[in-house]
Amino acid sequence: MGAPFTVTAGNFDAEVLQADAPVLVDFWAPWCGPCRIIAPAVEELATEYDGKLKVGKLNVDDHPAIAQNYGITGIPALLFFKDGKRVDTVVGAVSKNVLQEHVDGVVRDA
Amino acid sequence: MEREEALQMDKPSEKNITKMQKYAEKFAEKSGSYLHPDRSVTETVVEGLARHIEEVGVPLCPCNFYPDKPAEAKLRRWRCACDEMQMYKYCHCLLFVNKEGIPITEHLPEDHEGRQIYGLVKDPHADKGRAMRHKIGATEEAAHD
Repeated sequence: MGAPFTVTAGNFDAEVLQADAPVLVDFWAPWCGPCRIIAPAVEELATEYDGKLKVGKLNVDDHPAIAQNYGITGIPALLFFKDGKRVDTVVGAVSKNVLQEHVDGVVRDA
Repeated sequence: MEREEALQMDKPSEKNITKMQKYAEKFAEKSGSYLHPDRSVTETVVEGLARHIEEVGVPLCPCNFYPDKPAEAKLRRWRCACDEMQMYKYCHCLLFVNKEGIPITEHLPEDHEGRQIYGLVKDPHADKGRAMRHKIGATEEAAHD
């Protein structure tokens, strides 16, 4: 348990917007170098915050409508959702420590 | 496995991969930057550029989301080497970086997200690159119009 789940247009509403817990969605693409760099940190956080934070990954090539809806430009873009609303955004290959600070802020306020 | 499956499914031709790899090596030298020390990062980005050549005819940066790729392909700004690289020597895709694999942020405006992510990263060869630096003011003015 704790591995990131795949976010799609089909499950976005149920698994992200209507989730009981805060959700981190990693908007990524297969040929994005920084997406590759940040992926291990995202996976580790999914395990470390299991039960407190849901972590999903959305391929922007496969689900462009969602990416467009949230105004995604540069990737990776890590969006935090709580109670159906976006509450925080991190863009780029930030370190795990920086990402964890954002996670803690969102989880603490949950 | 999701990424590996996607890469295998749409792998670009060796011809275009080689073309973009050579371009990246030459541009790094010309601009006074380096390719990423983790070769898999460079390979990923180079394949993304090659794939965009096959998809839309030009090497669009693979580290952006484009709502309309064909329309974006008609513009100059995100064709590698992109306007940000040509003006500020900043590559958010991590193709052109310093020796340690960190993007150069020295020339960016202080409020640019690159500065917020990576802090101030010095240009190791400030005498090279930034062929479009003279356009910085013009671009900012256009953005405010």
